[in-house]
Amino acid sequence: MKKTSLFTICLTIFIVSWIFLRFVMGGIISAPIPNSVIAMYMGLILIAILVHVSVEDSRFTEFLRPVHETLVDDSKRTRRLVLVILIPLLMCGFSYTHIAQKTSPLGDPRQAHPKPPLELTYKDIVIDTMQDAQNPYRHYEKDDPELFKEHVDNGRRVYYQNCFYCHGDHLDGKGHFATALNPLPANFQDPGIIPNYQESFFFWRISKGGPGLPPAGTPWNTAMPIWEDFLTQEEIWDVIIFLSEYTGYTYRTFGEGH
Amino acid sequence: MRITMLTFTSLLILACVVPHPSYAQETPEGSLIGKQIYDKSCAHCHGLEGRGDGSAAENLLPRPRDFTRGLYKIRSTESGQLPTDKDLFDIITVGMPGTSMPEWETSLDVKEREEVVKYIKTFYSGFQENENPPREISLDDKIPYSQESVEIGKDLYVELGCVECHGKLGRGDGTSAPTLVDAWDFKTWPANLTENWNFRGGSDSEDIFKRFIGGIAGSPMPAFQGDTFYHFGLTAEQSEQYATLEKKVEDGEELTTEEEERAAQYFEINDTAATAALDWAEGLEMSPETLKIYNDAMKVVYEKSWHLANYVKSLSPEKRPDFAIGKHVLRSQYLQGELPALTDETWNTLDYSYYPLIGQIVVEPRQFNPSIDAVNVKSFYNDTEVAFLFSWDDKTHNTSEEENEETGKTYEDAIAIQFPVKPRKGPTDPKPYFIFGGRKPVYLWQWKASAPDTLTELTAKGINNVEEQEVQGDFAVESDYTDGRYMLWVKRSLKTDDKKDLQLDVATFVPIAFSVWDGGNGDIDTKRVISSWYSFVLEPLPSTRRFIYPPLVALLSFGLLVGLRRIVQRRNS
Ligand code: HEC
Ligand code: HEC
Ligand code: HEC
Repeated sequence: MKKTSLFTICLTIFIVSWIFLRFVMGGIISAPIPNSVIAMYMGLILIAILVHVSVEDSRFTEFLRPVHETLVDDSKRTRRLVLVILIPLLMCGFSYTHIAQKTSPLGDPRQAHPKPPLELTYKDIVIDTMQDAQNPYRHYEKDDPELFKEHVDNGRRVYYQNCFYCHGDHLDGKGHFATALNPLPANFQDPGIIPNYQESFFFWRISKGGPGLPPAGTPWNTAMPIWEDFLTQEEIWDVIIFLSEYTGYTYRTFGEGH
Repeated sequence: MRITMLTFTSLLILACVVPHPSYAQETPEGSLIGKQIYDKSCAHCHGLEGRGDGSAAENLLPRPRDFTRGLYKIRSTESGQLPTDKDLFDIITVGMPGTSMPEWETSLDVKEREEVVKYIKTFYSGFQENENPPREISLDDKIPYSQESVEIGKDLYVELGCVECHGKLGRGDGTSAPTLVDAWDFKTWPANLTENWNFRGGSDSEDIFKRFIGGIAGSPMPAFQGDTFYHFGLTAEQSEQYATLEKKVEDGEELTTEEEERAAQYFEINDTAATAALDWAEGLEMSPETLKIYNDAMKVVYEKSWHLANYVKSLSPEKRPDFAIGKHVLRSQYLQGELPALTDETWNTLDYSYYPLIGQIVVEPRQFNPSIDAVNVKSFYNDTEVAFLFSWDDKTHNTSEEENEETGKTYEDAIAIQFPVKPRKGPTDPKPYFIFGGRKPVYLWQWKASAPDTLTELTAKGINNVEEQEVQGDFAVESDYTDGRYMLWVKRSLKTDDKKDLQLDVATFVPIAFSVWDGGNGDIDTKRVISSWYSFVLEPLPSTRRFIYPPLVALLSFGLLVGLRRIVQRRNS
């Protein structure tokens, strides 16, 4: 069997990488990769290939051989003809689709978890620093499980009277109002959310809602209401407890006894 | 979790030993696991005792089901019968679209859903007392969907009185619509048959067929089975003849003896069939002859109902229109010359963009039970003006008759179209808050049903901080409400002299959002339906460059290839 030429191998690597980035990777991270990023990666791959083939002179000649042959060899006449028609046609098609493309609106790049303020407040009452603020009912979990259960139940009531429309019955962000919202309501079943934040962070987000976010969080877009207008402090702490009880995740803490 | 797994395993073993339970019986173990699941996942809506009075229930309409009366809407069984276990299992699995009843497929496994079915049956004693499995509706003689069948169904839709509730074109705007209450005395609305993605029990012809043959128990929608059908027991031909005879009598004409006999005969058939239907419904013993009369009569009913189901199916688009949030752009198309008026055919050349709406639950008073699914929009512009066509379904036409006692404001239908006062400069330039702005103001066009030819310009800096602009702009406005659908046509010049107005430029993207009020659903002030920010643009004409550059590029690459060959050839020689 004829040995596959170095050129074919490189071309295959190049094309496969493009297909992977364009069609497969987007599926894996469940968001399409922007064209500019793809172009950057493809540039890197191209440089890597060129470096690889030009390390030795002989390798470079070997690499260019098929190109060379296609360009001038008499035996490669048909291939030459096909390419000389196909390549200009493809270029023509690409530039047409590029120019005819509809323009799209400005995006809203958004940081989902921007830095909270230093102090945790409820309305105008200062509770504590963001780092030190504790859920005052959390300790019942060990000290008085019966009482703790009451807080969980109260949190459940608060959740299903107020939150499930957006955040969903299963706390997965798929409430029956969620379809029309952008950004989508938070999904508390996502392992990247509850375990990464302190209860005080949640208290801040719940009490101040979307409008309480700094500009990086696109406060003008989010539908998350300002719950200090509706709920007492206790209700907010209770719903925070409910979120972790229902999902089975525990909030992040900063060291014991702190 | 480990405990439940253990119990499941023991249950599985038990299930092999204990003879399979009949329809009526319960295994106590089953209900216990079912109870745990129910208390955790369902009780906050359906109530610990299944009375539909959980803590979340108060804000919800339709209310979470009260299980103690054995009334189930989505059944595959005949009118007056209980649902099968599979019916309950299926509805729990997929949920009820358009209501707060969620799907449970993702969070309860098959076994768990089966257990919870057993448990909710314990709330109503009828399940235990009823020894016989419920009678299922036969789907055997299904008539496939065809234009012909749809046409027949269309007549039946009127004949059977669906119009009275669901309205002429099916938008739920029938004359009885505002008066309907369910078995628990809560307000209920006839379904909008043009939005079948909101059907509680599925949108296939089979689903629809089952809904009106079996009825939607607990709702005012009657079951169209048996003698509710016109001339029950008569074939189509006989029915037609009977109708002519009846008409003659009505008009005071004399019938010939032969005609009189025929009329009496038809009356007899109709009467026997109706009595047979009653016997059947009561589950009485029936003689083979009466059974045959009943079955023959039902054949006709079933046939009609399939046509009707196909007709209802034809009223909705094949699927809910697309709306990719954030990317969904309202593109106004360029037209040379005069922009089309409200009823102009030119509008038909454009497709609507569909913007889903949800209840406003961010600021008090909130709307937890929205009645309007979406607003549809299209737009044209020319060198100086822009025209919009907005359309949305609303079951009632409310101008300003009824007043809110506290505020003196009126419950009336309205829409507000929202833009920022200035277009954004870049992706980091903040937009105004999506509900009526905040520190950054929004510019609004508000239209109310009581003033159908006017549009008011507003500036808002927050939902409760709304002002009418002192200088009102020049708008051409036309509107229409027919058969449950509002159409609003608005025309404005692209540029105005007022600094508080939005100025429109070709190819500049402008955020746009909508608020709609349905007075008939208690919408007033902040209680209404809203959308998030979308984008609007005056779509530039496709550039003529698209015919110039591509051939150039092709030529250039051809030249390059030829040149390359030359160079290589020269080097070789
Ligand atoms: C009107 C819809 C809506 C309602 C009702 C709602 N939320 Fe939200 N919520 C959102 C949206 C949208 C987001 C995501 C955007 C954001 O972070 O502001 C969000 C985000 C959050 C976050 C931030 C999570 C994170 O990853 O930082 C928390 C915590 C939260 N919601 C809790 C609640 C609680 C508790 C309730 C009920 C008391 C509630 N929400 C009710 C829409 C809603
Ligand atoms: C967020 C509230 C909510 C939760 C949680 C909920 N339901 Fe429902 N459920 C409803 C509402 C509302 C209805 C009535 C909808 C209607 O009548 O159109 C309903 C109806 C039903 C029905 C009646 C279906 C029919 O054919 O009429 C069943 C059965 C049911 N729910 C079972 C359950 C089970 C089992 C669970 C727990 C696993 C559950 N529901 C959790 C709100 C809820
Ligand atoms: C007395 C008024 C009334 C009449 C007459 C009536 N309906 Fe309905 N219909 C309703 C109501 C109310 C609902 C909503 C039921 C619910 O979800 O609680 C409904 C719902 C429906 C649905 C939606 C079912 C689902 O899965 O959500 C269909 C389909 C339907 N009706 C078809 C018909 C047809 C066809 C007719 C004529 C044969 C008819 N209706 C006659 C009141 C009526």
